[in-house]
Amino acid sequence: MRSMRSGWFARLMVLPTLVVLLVLTTYPFLSTIGYSFTNYSYLKRAATVFIGLQNYVKLLQTRYFQLAVRNTVVFTILAVVLEMVLGMLVALFVRSLRRGQKVMRILLLLPYLLPTTTVAMIWKMMLSPNYGILNQALSALHLPVHNWFMETGTAFPTILVIDVWQNVPFVFLLLYACLQNVPKRQYEAARIDGAGGWQVFWHITVPNIREGIGVCALLRTIDTFRLFDKVNILTGGGPAGTTSTITQYIYTYGIKNLKFGFGSAGAVVMTLLVLALSSVTIRNTLRAS
Amino acid sequence: MKRIVSVLLCVLLAASVFANGAKEQTSSTTPEVEGKRKMTIILRGGTYGKVIEECLPEFEKANNVEIEALDLSFDDLHSKIALNAVNKEGAYDLCMVDGSWMAEFTENNVLLNLSEAGYSFDDDIIPATESICKVGDDIYLAPYFGNVTVMLYNKTLVKAAGYNGSDIKTWDDVAKIAKAANAAGKNGYLIRGGSPDNIVSDFLPVLLANGGWVVDGNNKPTVDTPAFRAALAQYISLYELGDTMDKDDIVAQIDNGSAALAVGWPGWYVPSAQSNGNYTPIPSQLTASSASYNTALYGVWCIGVPSNSANKDLGVKLLTYLMDKDVLLGTVKNGGVPCRYSSLTNAEVLKTYPQLATVCAALEKGVYRPVIAQWNDFTTILGTEMDNIIKGTETMDVGLARAQAELEDLMAQ
Repeated sequence: MRSMRSGWFARLMVLPTLVVLLVLTTYPFLSTIGYSFTNYSYLKRAATVFIGLQNYVKLLQTRYFQLAVRNTVVFTILAVVLEMVLGMLVALFVRSLRRGQKVMRILLLLPYLLPTTTVAMIWKMMLSPNYGILNQALSALHLPVHNWFMETGTAFPTILVIDVWQNVPFVFLLLYACLQNVPKRQYEAARIDGAGGWQVFWHITVPNIREGIGVCALLRTIDTFRLFDKVNILTGGGPAGTTSTITQYIYTYGIKNLKFGFGSAGAVVMTLLVLALSSVTIRNTLRAS
Repeated sequence: MKRIVSVLLCVLLAASVFANGAKEQTSSTTPEVEGKRKMTIILRGGTYGKVIEECLPEFEKANNVEIEALDLSFDDLHSKIALNAVNKEGAYDLCMVDGSWMAEFTENNVLLNLSEAGYSFDDDIIPATESICKVGDDIYLAPYFGNVTVMLYNKTLVKAAGYNGSDIKTWDDVAKIAKAANAAGKNGYLIRGGSPDNIVSDFLPVLLANGGWVVDGNNKPTVDTPAFRAALAQYISLYELGDTMDKDDIVAQIDNGSAALAVGWPGWYVPSAQSNGNYTPIPSQLTASSASYNTALYGVWCIGVPSNSANKDLGVKLLTYLMDKDVLLGTVKNGGVPCRYSSLTNAEVLKTYPQLATVCAALEKGVYRPVIAQWNDFTTILGTEMDNIIKGTETMDVGLARAQAELEDLMAQ
């Protein structure tokens, strides 16, 4: 009798959390899936009808969506790899410092603490073809200058550099925290055995922080896949679609034009792609934990 | 005891959720702040909204009202007005509206019929700017900021090519100046990049000069036509003498002498006798012997009252106040460009701002973008294909054929 009562009580206690989750997560998610099968246009809600898979068919047949998917996948892979490598190098460097670790930690974190809009505007000014410091420096060195955000050859790599610059500190912070937990005696033993720097890193550091690397890569993959603010502010997906991402596509063709049915289909496809791309990491992380 | 407290907390939490909901439903339709009525207006950021905000204190004082003004980007303004429109009671009491949204908004009852609310135009408003504001005889908007395309130029570079600003009469002249500036190591002509809408708007004056347009009389798309092709080829040849930039960089380059010419809008730049840049009407002819067309494209920012405003009376009163001759005249010193003869032909005003004569002439014979509910989608499709063609990732044949087919699909929906 007592256990029955405590079971009832436990469920009651969980109820508020469940309600919040249902209202804030499950309901919007299911609504999005539902809308994706309709022609829901915000200003013409009364005319909404079920149209089956039409939105999905149109989406997958549209070459601009295909281009956006390709750009997003390539961008995510490049950004995550670069951020992980650079973040790891910075973390190892800071950990190796005998003095000034705290100051370095704070300084290195600054780009990550800035709002994305601010980051975009700072870089827009620095790379301006008129008064940007980079073009002025290149000009002074008699090197060719570029219209960084408007040339098809430079826009994508420029956005990539900005994204990596802003997010390396996040990777650094997570990996630096993981590095603190690697037992020092393992390093001492390796040193006694005459292991070199690379061997120590590969056989001691990496195995000890493998879970941290996995979680970090997963978080960065999910976040990078949703790249929107920088692209929308700096290039709007141009020039010639070279920087268009899935979120930018959904915004331009679904949200901006208030065609929420079509936009919802794009959001569902994006969610599936994120899951596919991060499934390996999720599986490994779950297995490890 | 702990259990009882926990249950009570749960009940309180649930009660507070519903209590908030109830409060939301029963909240006053006309919020009052210390006895004052409160209004919220939603404006286009930049000079367009700033000139309105500077007029508000006097209205607030005279009407014992407090006004909150929200400045937004082009896209955000459109979205916010549309999202607000489906609520039974809206959050905004006056909104700034781009002419290209008129068809979509009136089709969906977003705007209040101002004629029914007692508002009417007077003879001082430039008649051509009124056309977009009406459906039949009913007024839904008032033309507030006379934004119309003009030709921005750098005085020094134009002079170096052997011209004065007022001598730029044809697109042939534009090409000659651009070539001369390009040969001197400068950008001859700047085109606007960024969003598809920017690309289309920047190109339309060239298309008009070629006698083309994006739709015919039955709103059938006409983007794969000889006139459109000729205009796009001409536009690309101008781009090859310069570069593509966003608004801020275009203004900066014209002002600092890095570029000679670009299509611009009066709201971007307020020239003075000392400034390096100035503007002149967009040439209406390709050559001195070719046909002349209206080439000034309207981007007039209008003001209206949302049909679901909680303070319609105050909204209409504020709109009437903002459209007043004297109030509008007062905005000129802050960069305002009224669509009124009393402001744009005022001798005192023209002494300080002679370029307003150019704007007045352009406003008298400008061209509005097509009044079609699908205009947002239309520019997205056309601008995207044009961007590909201009940047060389697609041929003109392929790009325009695709645009034509997609636009026909769009208009058939």
